[in-house]
Amino acid sequence: MWRKLGIVIFGVLFFCGVLQAKTTLLYMTAGDINMLALAQNVIGPMFSQRYPDVDLRTIHTGPGDAGSRLIFEKLKAEKLAGKETWDVDVAMVHQIFLSWVKDEFGDLSELLLKYAQDLSTWKYVTSPQAKYALGVPVEGYVMPMFHSQTAIAYNPKYVPEPPRNFDELVAWVKAHPGKFGYNGIKGGMSGVAFVNAWVYWKTGKYEKYAITGPFDEKEVASWEPVFKELKEFNKYVTITAGNVGTLDALNRGEIWMGPVWVDMFYTFMLTGKMDPNMRLVLPAPGMPGQPMYFVIPAKARNVEWAKKFVEFVTSPEIQGKVIVAKYNWYPGIDGKYIKDYVSPEVYNRLYRDISPEELQKKGLAFPLSPYFKAVLESYEKWVIGG
Amino acid sequence: MRSGSSAVEFKEFKGLRGGTHGFLPLFLLLPAVGFVLVMYIYPFVLSLLRSLTDEMGRFSFVNYSKAIALYGRDILFSIEVAVLGTLISTVLSLALASYIRLSNSRVSRLINSLTRIGIFLPYVVVAQMMRSFLAPHGLLNVLLANIGLVDINSPLQLFNIKGLTLGFLWKETPFITFIVLSGLQVIDDTYIEAARSVGARTHHVILRVLIPMIKPTIAIAVVLTFCTIVSTFTLPYMIVAGNPTTVTVDIAHRVTYFGDYRVASALGVFLYLIVGVMAVYYLRRAVREEVYGY
Repeated sequence: MWRKLGIVIFGVLFFCGVLQAKTTLLYMTAGDINMLALAQNVIGPMFSQRYPDVDLRTIHTGPGDAGSRLIFEKLKAEKLAGKETWDVDVAMVHQIFLSWVKDEFGDLSELLLKYAQDLSTWKYVTSPQAKYALGVPVEGYVMPMFHSQTAIAYNPKYVPEPPRNFDELVAWVKAHPGKFGYNGIKGGMSGVAFVNAWVYWKTGKYEKYAITGPFDEKEVASWEPVFKELKEFNKYVTITAGNVGTLDALNRGEIWMGPVWVDMFYTFMLTGKMDPNMRLVLPAPGMPGQPMYFVIPAKARNVEWAKKFVEFVTSPEIQGKVIVAKYNWYPGIDGKYIKDYVSPEVYNRLYRDISPEELQKKGLAFPLSPYFKAVLESYEKWVIGG
Repeated sequence: MRSGSSAVEFKEFKGLRGGTHGFLPLFLLLPAVGFVLVMYIYPFVLSLLRSLTDEMGRFSFVNYSKAIALYGRDILFSIEVAVLGTLISTVLSLALASYIRLSNSRVSRLINSLTRIGIFLPYVVVAQMMRSFLAPHGLLNVLLANIGLVDINSPLQLFNIKGLTLGFLWKETPFITFIVLSGLQVIDDTYIEAARSVGARTHHVILRVLIPMIKPTIAIAVVLTFCTIVSTFTLPYMIVAGNPTTVTVDIAHRVTYFGDYRVASALGVFLYLIVGVMAVYYLRRAVREEVYGY
C-alpha cells in the first residue's frame, strides 16, 4: 500500500513538474470585476495561443484605488523585504499608484522598470497621460491599456435637450428635484469625478490643479463657497449607492440624469442591463477620466515575457478587437491606429455622443494628488459636515 | 531492576507533569499565548500607537480630533445602527424561537428550516439582494405601489438607516434564533407543563419561564450580534447612499483615497471602544457565572 501511495505521489509531483515547465506570468490587476474577466477569459488565452510557452496567471485586487493600493503594498513589501526577484511580473494600476510610488520612494525606478520605450507599440502612444500622471512624470514607466472617461448619462425621454455646460446642468437639476443622481464620494469614482469637475468649473483653475501645480494650501481655504454651493446643489439631488447604483437608478427610471463611466455605461447596454435609448453628454468645461496603466516591477522575474505581454495588449489589433469592440473603453493608443481593426458601427458607437475632438477638449485629468485629497476632504468638511 | 528503573522514570514523569510550576505548563501555553500575542495583541497595540502619532511620528491627538471633526456623526450612526439592529433582531428572534419551541406543527418546522438559510448567506450577497429589493423603483416599492400603498413617483427611500437596519435584521435574526433555540431545546418539557398546569398562558410561559432560564444564552447572542453589526463593512458600503454612513466605510475611505492609516486607526479605536463595552459586560458576566455560579 505504501508503495502504491509513493508511486501516486511521485506521479502527481512529476505531473506538476511538467506543468511548471511552462513559464507562468504573474499579472496583478486592479479595477472592477471586468478587469479579471478580461485577463482570464480574453487576453490571457489569446496571449497563450500566440506564445504557447507562457501561461498568464491573473490576480485581481479589487475595484477603485483600493485595488491599486493592494498592488502598491505588495510591491513595497517585496522591496522592503530585500528580495532578489519579485513575485509580480506585470501589473495594471490607476494613475494614483504612480503618485504613491513617487511620494514614498522619491524615484519611480525604486519600484518600477522603465520599459515602455523598448516596446514596438510605443510609437502608437500619443496620449499626454502617458507622459504625466496626476502631475508625476511617468514617461517610460507606464503603457496605457485604455482610457476611461466619465460623462453625464441621461434619459432622452425626459431630457430632450441635455445640458451642454455646468450652468445649464445646475439650472436643470433645480427645475427637476431628485431626478439627478450621483454617488457622493465614498461610493466610487464616478461621484468623485463629478465633484472634481464641479471644482474645476467653479474655480476655473484646471491647469493649476491638474497639470502644473504646485499645491497651495491657501487655495483650499478659498474653496469654502464652492463647496457650500455644492451642498446647496445636493439638496436637489438623489444620492445613489455606488457607480452601479447610479446606472441602475437611471435604468429603473428613478433618476433621469447622472455621472457615469462611459465604458460601464456601454457595457451595461450591451449586456441588456441598460435601456438602449439612454445617451451621454460631456458638459463644458468637461469631466475627468483616467487611463489604466501597465507597469512592470523593478525586479520582476520574467521581464522579457512581461514586455511581450504589454506589447501584445497595446498592439492595434488587440486594442481594436478587445479594448474597444468588446469592452467599450477608449483605446490606450491613438484612436486612428485601430480603425482597421474595428467595424464602423463599433467605432461610431463609441464616438457617437462624444466625438474624438470633444474628448480631446473636455476629457480632463483628475487633480494632482494633494489637490485630489484636498477636494475629498473639503467635501467631507463642507458638504457632509458643515 | 526493571521495576526499580520504571519507578524512577514514573517519579520524574510525575514531577514534570504534576506540578503547577516548572517548565512544561509554560511550554504548553506558549503556542496559544504566542498566537494571541502575535496575531491580536501586536496589531492592536500597533494600531493604537499609529492612531496616536502625527505625520512626523510625534505623540499627538491630531488623528482623533480629525476623526471626530469629519466622522463624529458616523460614529454615532454606527452605534445607532448596532443598537437598533441588535434590539429588534433579538426581540424578533425570541418570539420566533419560542414559537418554534412551543409549537410542533409542520409550519413551525418549516419556519425552523427556512430561518437557517439566512445564516449561511454571506453579507455581500445579502447586500446585493437588498440593493434591488429596497431601491426606489425596486421590488418592494413596486409591490407596495401595485397594492396601492405607495405612490411610485414618491417611493419609500430606504438606502439609509431604515434599509440598513432591515438588512441586518434579515441576516442577524436567523442567527440569534439559531442560538436561542438551541438554548430552548434543552429546557425540559416538564417546566412548561408545570407552568401550564397552574394556569400560565403562552406569553407567561415565554416571559416567565423560558426566557429567564436561557438568559446567559441570550446574552451571548446579543453580544455576538452587536459586534458583528458594528464591524460589518459590505452591507453599509453597498446599501447606504450618501451620509451618514458607518465607521467601517469611513475607515475604508480613509485608507483607499488618502492612504491615511493614522486617522483610519483612530476610527478603529472608536470601534474597539464600542465593541469593548459589550466585551467587558460579557466577560464580567462569564466570570461571575463561572466563579460564583450566579
